[in-house]
Amino acid sequence: MTTASLKGPNWGMVVDVDKCIGCMACVIACQAENNVPLNTQDRVERGRAISWIRVERYWEGDFPDSKARFIPIMCQHCANAPCEPVCPVFATYHNSEGLNIQVYNRCVGTRYCANGCPYIVRFFNYWEPVWPESLRNHLNPDVTVRSRGIMEKCTFCVHRIRRESRKARSEGRVLLDGEVQTACSTACPTSALNFGNFNDPNSKVSKMKDDQRHYTLLDQFATEPNVIYLAKVDTDRKVGAGEAASHG
Amino acid sequence: MKLNRREFLTLTGKTTAGAVIFAACGLPERELIVQSPVDLPEDLVRGEDAWYATSMGDFTNGDGVLVRVMEGRAKKIEGNPDHPVNRGKSTARYDSVLQLLYHPDRISDPMRRFSKGGNLVDISWRQAEAQFQDALVNANGSLTVVTNPLRGHLGSVASKFAAKFNGRHMSFDPIEQGVLHGAVKSVLGQDQLPTFDIANASTVLSFGADWLGTWGSPAQFGVKYGEFRSQGNRGYLIHADPRMSLTAAAADLWLAPKPGTEGDLALGIASVIVKEGLASVANIAAFNAALPGGLSGYSVAEVAGKTEIPAARIEKAARHFAGNTPAVAFGGGSAGAHTNGSFNLGAIYSLNLLVGAVGARGGVTANPGSAFEDISASATGASFESWEAELAQWRAGNVETVIIRGVDIVYGMPNSVAVREALDNVPNVITFGAVLDDTMAFADLVLPELTFLETWGTDIPEPGPGYQVVGIQQPVVGPTVTQDETGLISNARGFGDMLLAMAGGSFGSSMERIVMDAVSELHDTGRGSVSASSSALFMNGVLQRGGWWDTGEKGAQGTAGRISTTTKSAGYSDTNALGTGEDFHLVPFVSNSLFDGRLAATPWAQQTPDPISSASWSTWAEINSQQAKELGIRQGDVLLIRSTSGEIEALAYPHPGIRPGVIGVPIGQGHAEGGRWAEGRGSNVLSILVDKKDSETGALAWAATRVRVQRAGRRVKVPKYEGEVEARAAEPGVPILVVGPGETAEQAEKANHHEYQGSLFKDD
Repeated sequence: MTTASLKGPNWGMVVDVDKCIGCMACVIACQAENNVPLNTQDRVERGRAISWIRVERYWEGDFPDSKARFIPIMCQHCANAPCEPVCPVFATYHNSEGLNIQVYNRCVGTRYCANGCPYIVRFFNYWEPVWPESLRNHLNPDVTVRSRGIMEKCTFCVHRIRRESRKARSEGRVLLDGEVQTACSTACPTSALNFGNFNDPNSKVSKMKDDQRHYTLLDQFATEPNVIYLAKVDTDRKVGAGEAASHG
Repeated sequence: MKLNRREFLTLTGKTTAGAVIFAACGLPERELIVQSPVDLPEDLVRGEDAWYATSMGDFTNGDGVLVRVMEGRAKKIEGNPDHPVNRGKSTARYDSVLQLLYHPDRISDPMRRFSKGGNLVDISWRQAEAQFQDALVNANGSLTVVTNPLRGHLGSVASKFAAKFNGRHMSFDPIEQGVLHGAVKSVLGQDQLPTFDIANASTVLSFGADWLGTWGSPAQFGVKYGEFRSQGNRGYLIHADPRMSLTAAAADLWLAPKPGTEGDLALGIASVIVKEGLASVANIAAFNAALPGGLSGYSVAEVAGKTEIPAARIEKAARHFAGNTPAVAFGGGSAGAHTNGSFNLGAIYSLNLLVGAVGARGGVTANPGSAFEDISASATGASFESWEAELAQWRAGNVETVIIRGVDIVYGMPNSVAVREALDNVPNVITFGAVLDDTMAFADLVLPELTFLETWGTDIPEPGPGYQVVGIQQPVVGPTVTQDETGLISNARGFGDMLLAMAGGSFGSSMERIVMDAVSELHDTGRGSVSASSSALFMNGVLQRGGWWDTGEKGAQGTAGRISTTTKSAGYSDTNALGTGEDFHLVPFVSNSLFDGRLAATPWAQQTPDPISSASWSTWAEINSQQAKELGIRQGDVLLIRSTSGEIEALAYPHPGIRPGVIGVPIGQGHAEGGRWAEGRGSNVLSILVDKKDSETGALAWAATRVRVQRAGRRVKVPKYEGEVEARAAEPGVPILVVGPGETAEQAEKANHHEYQGSLFKDD
């Protein structure tokens, strides 16, 4: 299988919610890979923690029938992204590979994009990121450390895409399906997170996205996300029965 | 001139002198230094990364990892796709180890305390070696070497070292696995923990063990769980636990028994299976042979009374387990941490006999012994009973020298054993570690230790994948210089190498040599995953793949034995004299990110939200939301949790996923030492455990403590992520779309929409 296509790649993710166990391996892998600032206690308490991918937990029912549901949420890389047209300096735009790009050097910190994003996956740097001296050793040199006053978010590990694309090009071949993996999908032990090229009909994600459980988050906003979710399966649910859940 | 980007933009916006300022700033010097290598390793290519395979000894049960190294610095830890245990996958704990490696409070040089209770003073390695040698001479046989349970050659070195000086090697594990090993041995006849073929099972029935979060080998089990859910029938998971863990949350059926009645529940399930004829005659006979006394007293009605789980739920679990085979049953964690722990786990593992799961596909299969004659494939901590006896010797002044590595016994042991007083009576306490811990506050000599990323070793995963595996640990980075390039971050040495040096090289010259010899031994077997014409090529192959394994060398099934019935009913601690408050059953649980506290020093582990509460940086107490309402307890109320061993504070976190009458508190916080991110943060729940023990093995019954809970009269904000992001449901009330078997997402969305419309109509 290859990602060969006249149209070029359209990178996307399929999240099988039925396999997500909420283990947070994706969250910490993303933090490490992308030099996300430390979320100190103060930042968590102020609601200003930065987490490019988060796992939301929702409760359903009461004891003893209570159920905890997990869903990983990251930038949905929408084809019709509400964050893009509102940026006055074109710091966020859609590229030809389906990625919602954030250009840090252009960003002037209006936060319009965060206001427009219904998924709440854009994060503003209210402070200069502080890394104790010795911890700077583990910073990833492929990823810029963002400064105070600009917006950041999931990039689908664009630096990994670029690295693997360059490597394939230098070897005179096309990218193979699965060759590019984001930090979160690499870490995910249950393979709930799957990354790949939707323009390749033979890719794993292309096959998965046609599963009868597929849906997109907040599709009433017509954002056309590049993240497809596969619904959680509950054997106790009767077909056609509505669910009731509370935000935990 | 120091100017950040924001100030730069402001300035350039206000003045035409922007270009001049820019020219004066130049490139940020510190950023350049970060990537400035000093002693370039020979395989270093500037700008190119290298991925080294190694084994994650102290922080997993033997997972293989790849470490990304760039210009001498470790950047990322990922699962090794070649390794048969975790198959390229990770847990939330892998990357945090990088922050131990580069911890700003890492111990840089040896330190000595000249009198008990005095201050630690930096000394040279030469002085440290002299003091170490004196301590060995003075010990004259009264020496104890204390480590975490060590698999592989480091454990062997520690044992040989202790033996050479006529001492003892004792392992400590705050979350004891001795009951588990005992039950596996007595029921299944196996010396090593077996492999659970979750991926090929149609039904998994687990008790207590949070195998998707922290128990056993979570990365291995996570991969298998993904495969389990990918089957045509999707698999069916039943999990019994008083508190909703990650595994309970993933379960199709969650059972919340009264703590300590897990064995009753298992036998109640067995009685339904036998009564309804859901198992073959041969399997029932095998099961009966393992259970002295039979199932009398375990009818579903009686078990429903003991466990306080409705009979219908027990029957549902039994019918699924026996009716959808292959099926596998296993347990551990809190289910075995009771005075009747051996009975509980014995009953749980015996369910495998009833469905013919032993040695079967989709069942439980044996793991083989070690590939090395003198190295055990299994390691577990000494029992709490043994530790009580040992500490009594320390207190009596009968032990001259104690060497401690890999465990924080002051943090990990309950107040009841008075470990601090015991250490005060040992003349020479020598500790190894990367960052100061609570035990080091009582040490006479503190020695900086290299992490697993800097040292040689071997590891034998437990539980293994069903065949022989040896993980190889190699140094992936060299010494790291400080930012100002004036010295090393830590002038540390490896524990194994230090022991070998102090023993005069009598059983090995270095850990590197020992690993080389071990690999050579593997080469000589002529089998396994790496084949090469020479030892050198074989070594390269093994290092590149992160280890050696032989899929043909499987474990032999043992002879089924009997369930321990010494103590069938759980005993709990007393709360009568604990003052005012409400009585709860305390269920401590291992933190998903801090683990048992060994990662508390790292900010990534501290900041990672707990999957259930989403809390971080703190100690919280989970109680049933309905019960909390009745008691007037709200989220953030500071609770005083009191046992006969002591009292701690925790922030109330009510939720519907815990049994009423149970209070769940995470292990991992409450360190007196541990660097800037761990010190003085939260509470140590291990400290208030009472000294109840499993009647069979003497293991600490860490889930047998009853506590009295009282509000302190204060309320603070729980540092948590929940509520930070407003839930925006796909349809009102449906944040996560759920489908029934065979239902499409579209059908479910329509059904939800209709229900929502209906609810609006009703409101009118």
